Amino acid sequence: MRHLNRRHFLGAGLLLGASALLGKETPSKPIAIPQEYTPPIIAFPEKKPMVAISDRPPLLKSAKGREIFTQAITPNDEFFVRWHLPDIPTHIDLNEFRLEVKGSVNTPLSLSVDDLKSKFEPTEVAAVLQCGGNSRKYYAVTGQATHGVQWDHGAMGCAIWKGVKLKDILNRAGVKESATWVGLNGLEKPAMDETPDFFREMEIAETLQDQIIVAYAMNGEDLPYLNGFPIRLVIPGHFSDSWVKMLSEIMVMDTYRKSFFMDVAYTVPDNDCECVVSGSDFEYKRKPIATMKVKSVIGYPSPDTLIKKGSRVKIAGVAFDQGKGIKEVMISLDGGKSWSAAKLGQDYGKFAFRPWSFEWEPKTKGDFTIMARAINRIGNIQPLPDEIGWNAGGYQYNAVDNVNVKIV
Amino acid sequence: MKKILLFSLLAVSTLFAQVSKPIEMPYVEYPIESGDHDEIVQQYCLICHSFGYVLNQGKKSRPYWKGTVQKMVNEFKAPIGKEDQQIIVNYLVKHYGYESQPNPSGH
Ligand code: HEC
Repeated sequence: MRHLNRRHFLGAGLLLGASALLGKETPSKPIAIPQEYTPPIIAFPEKKPMVAISDRPPLLKSAKGREIFTQAITPNDEFFVRWHLPDIPTHIDLNEFRLEVKGSVNTPLSLSVDDLKSKFEPTEVAAVLQCGGNSRKYYAVTGQATHGVQWDHGAMGCAIWKGVKLKDILNRAGVKESATWVGLNGLEKPAMDETPDFFREMEIAETLQDQIIVAYAMNGEDLPYLNGFPIRLVIPGHFSDSWVKMLSEIMVMDTYRKSFFMDVAYTVPDNDCECVVSGSDFEYKRKPIATMKVKSVIGYPSPDTLIKKGSRVKIAGVAFDQGKGIKEVMISLDGGKSWSAAKLGQDYGKFAFRPWSFEWEPKTKGDFTIMARAINRIGNIQPLPDEIGWNAGGYQYNAVDNVNVKIV
Repeated sequence: MKKILLFSLLAVSTLFAQVSKPIEMPYVEYPIESGDHDEIVQQYCLICHSFGYVLNQGKKSRPYWKGTVQKMVNEFKAPIGKEDQQIIVNYLVKHYGYESQPNPSGH
């Protein structure tokens, strides 16, 4: 997921040699056709057999491929998994586990999961969890392949999260006047002490938003171990890099703490398109990826499905955005010349997958491309694949999805 | 020659987090191409993560692999000497990448 990226102000430091070499390469170069590796499908604890991109740390996606995205709510046992560091405790004793709230607070707290459940008001939100690098392999369809694990659409899911508002916890501890940032850390640890820890930071103002919760339940059950048991941060509308799993520490800070995973990883060029206009990605001032972009994914049919002429096909998928809400999903069956509105399904709230469907009765034989394009309530619309801005890390891919099928 | 991908399909029973026993993580043996000093690659590149990280990048250019190995050393503090870094880069380019022309912009 990660790739070599850095803030411009890190200057000609350690990475200069590498960074200069990692610009957008012109497609005219002799490029071997990338040969795709197919990872094995294996059952992990509390999970159905899933595609195991890595076992240590675990990176898993549903073995169903796109079809998992015909449902608004992704089942826990098929929900994607994405850790960063290999040393993850294989057992958590709830009698001992504590969430520590410390730093610039009046009353440091040490909360058990029971405390969270019994001493705070519970709240629920349906929200999409999507990796910043989700769908990045499709950048290679219209441009240069990007860095990082070549995810298809599999690094996302939507669940109903239940927990406690982060702001309620912070208010209970009493944030001091001087505080400006909140650091969030979980129990995953690197193999070597010198490797930077995967902790995240948010500005105080951001942490006080109502929708941000420390979740102890997912779709009505305990969080699966691999999705961050016993508690994780849920930041609806945001890419998942800050949804810290096995959350164990909330550190209220007066100053920002620099770290590789905040300043270098998960960043894009700091310009309007958040993309490389010319030259190398690393010549740009950087900004961290944050809110998600409007997107829809076709769940059914899958590419290369054979469909009998005259049969009734129910094209189906999901759409979501940064939390403004989906206004419309348009479907094209003629390569983008004409578009018709899909039927929107149940509304689980503005941060959730909005399921959609479209009835199609193909009348002629041949090859067809199904395209789906979402628009949200503030008029953000998905770019076409050849319009999307490119970045070396392959983040934030949200171009119009398309699937080729054959009518026979 | 490819090492054979072995993975256990043995009962990985549904273990719930709330049980008192630790979860058991399955081990996946990712195939690693042999030759060209794969032992050096195995010695270093499996310390912090599985070989799945390499396999799932797709084929990459020499500058990419050089940059990635440097990142492992500089950012993540992989304890790899200069000479071994070079061996690893060559191995990765040969088995999981491709050579590319020097950057025309002169970097
Ligand atoms: C000291 C620990 C360490 C060692 C040793 C190490 N890596 Fe990494 N590697 C990391 C970390 C940490 C990440 C980021 C993990 C994440 O975010 O999932 C990473 C990520 C990667 C990635 C994903 C793409 C990227 O740029 O983040 C690749 C490819 C990779 N490593 C290859 C290698 C190779 C090849 C070697 C052997 C030279 C190696 N690693 C050795 C720690 C290490």
